[in-house]
Amino acid sequence: MSLELDLATGLLYLLVFPGFAFLFAYGLTAEFLDRKLYARLQNRVGPPPLQPLADFLKLLSKESVVPDNATARIYNAAPLTGLAGVFTAMLYIPVWTEQAAFAFEGDLVVVLFLLSLPSFSLFFGGWYSGNVFSRIGTTRTITQLFGYEIPFFLAAFAPAVAAGSLSTSEITAFIGANPWYVLVLLPAFAIALLSLQAKLERIPFDIPEAETELATGTLVEYSGRKLALFRLTKDVELVVGAALLSALFLGGPYPAGSIEGFAGVAAGVVVFLVKTLAVIALLTVLKAVVARLRIEQMVSVFYRVLVPVALSQIAVVLLVGLYTEGLIP
Amino acid sequence: MGRIIDWARNRSPWILHLNCGSCNGCDIETLDALMPRYDIERFGILKKDTPRHADILVATGPVTKQMAPRLKRVYEQMPEPKLVIAAGSCASTGGVFHDCYNCHEGVDDVIPVDMYVPGCPTSPEALIDGIVKLLEEAGQDAQAERLAEAKPEIVEEGARIDEAVPAADESTAEIDTDDNPEEGTDEPEPVEA
Repeated sequence: MSLELDLATGLLYLLVFPGFAFLFAYGLTAEFLDRKLYARLQNRVGPPPLQPLADFLKLLSKESVVPDNATARIYNAAPLTGLAGVFTAMLYIPVWTEQAAFAFEGDLVVVLFLLSLPSFSLFFGGWYSGNVFSRIGTTRTITQLFGYEIPFFLAAFAPAVAAGSLSTSEITAFIGANPWYVLVLLPAFAIALLSLQAKLERIPFDIPEAETELATGTLVEYSGRKLALFRLTKDVELVVGAALLSALFLGGPYPAGSIEGFAGVAAGVVVFLVKTLAVIALLTVLKAVVARLRIEQMVSVFYRVLVPVALSQIAVVLLVGLYTEGLIP
Repeated sequence: MGRIIDWARNRSPWILHLNCGSCNGCDIETLDALMPRYDIERFGILKKDTPRHADILVATGPVTKQMAPRLKRVYEQMPEPKLVIAAGSCASTGGVFHDCYNCHEGVDDVIPVDMYVPGCPTSPEALIDGIVKLLEEAGQDAQAERLAEAKPEIVEEGARIDEAVPAADESTAEIDTDDNPEEGTDEPEPVEA
């Protein structure tokens, strides 16, 4: 009986909430809100609410070309691996309570790894599509990957050091119990925000896409179904990245996490939506107000500025933990 | 299902702009149409940089002999279903380059064209109107095809499907057509915006 119940709840987590169906709907909604806010910041009207869904369905119903020069097997598999990675990552991030759907000690490392899968799927897809533009785009993707992954990992480890645990759920619970840590971790939050923007390849870090130089870079040969999956991967990655940031730095469902019963779940979901949408809005404003960097500028900013800041952030967290032991219960 | 796909296609036309030897007048006006002032993202129109992503090819200029094979190649690289708009007088008929030794006479000499947008240069409003009208027409064609598939008995022999389905009043259909259809090569009913 309990095994069947476990199986049922597991399938519910995987397929409905916070798994496939919820992420699909929320990802498309987030893309709409992102595009709408971007349009309003440029003094435009912007797309209608169902625009991302229309784009997705149209791409699904279009012909999906495989170029002659492409290595067909890798070219076809690339979109699926990235999508699977981001969908799986969401299961380890707390949504409506401080406990994620599946959690174990060290799942933060798994989430960080799964979130870098889309970049690798972009690399493999672009490299094996046999186009010069996409090859230049993939080399830039990988160069940029080495730029942002290290600050992102260091920034994500700052709350882990504070909580003394590598489990996302425990970190969320710790931040929820000591909310003033949000202020201590503010520099790490800013670094993670910038690294997430680079991970998503949005302006100012859209160097691999660079439509004026590379004609959309890595995705230049993709069309139809596979392009739809890549776009969906980007949308879901945006949502999952925002959820990870809200869990690590903003305390996840913090004010609502302690309420019991159905009201607690509803309040938790509302808090989750508010916090993730706030993170997405920050990313959109960043996209709207700055221009694209060159690749060497991007790498030098991340290595010379953000890595030292992230390291000193970890030192600050250790010092705060040492000197406030008796003061904060 | 077909209706959902039509809805999606009508609301998400991505365009590719290609200069086939234009004087740049139509290109500047085409780029004007993409500016925030007209905000074509309201209709879901996005400008794409690669033919693989595009649904609509906006070709300008009278297609020089050197550009013709490239235009054909870009057209073939676009995935099905695809539509072509000839933007400007030169792209429609050859314009002032008519009878030139180094030019074709319009885009329809090389690839089939679905919509002609006249003007020298074409105005951004006309271009946006052309895209919207073209999608409307394509949606009606698809609807007629679906109806004909569901009820094959209402399609008359030899008649075009969309003429057979509604009680089409011939007078309006005549007005909509191009005055001299022998100019275009293979499209039976080109429509002007």
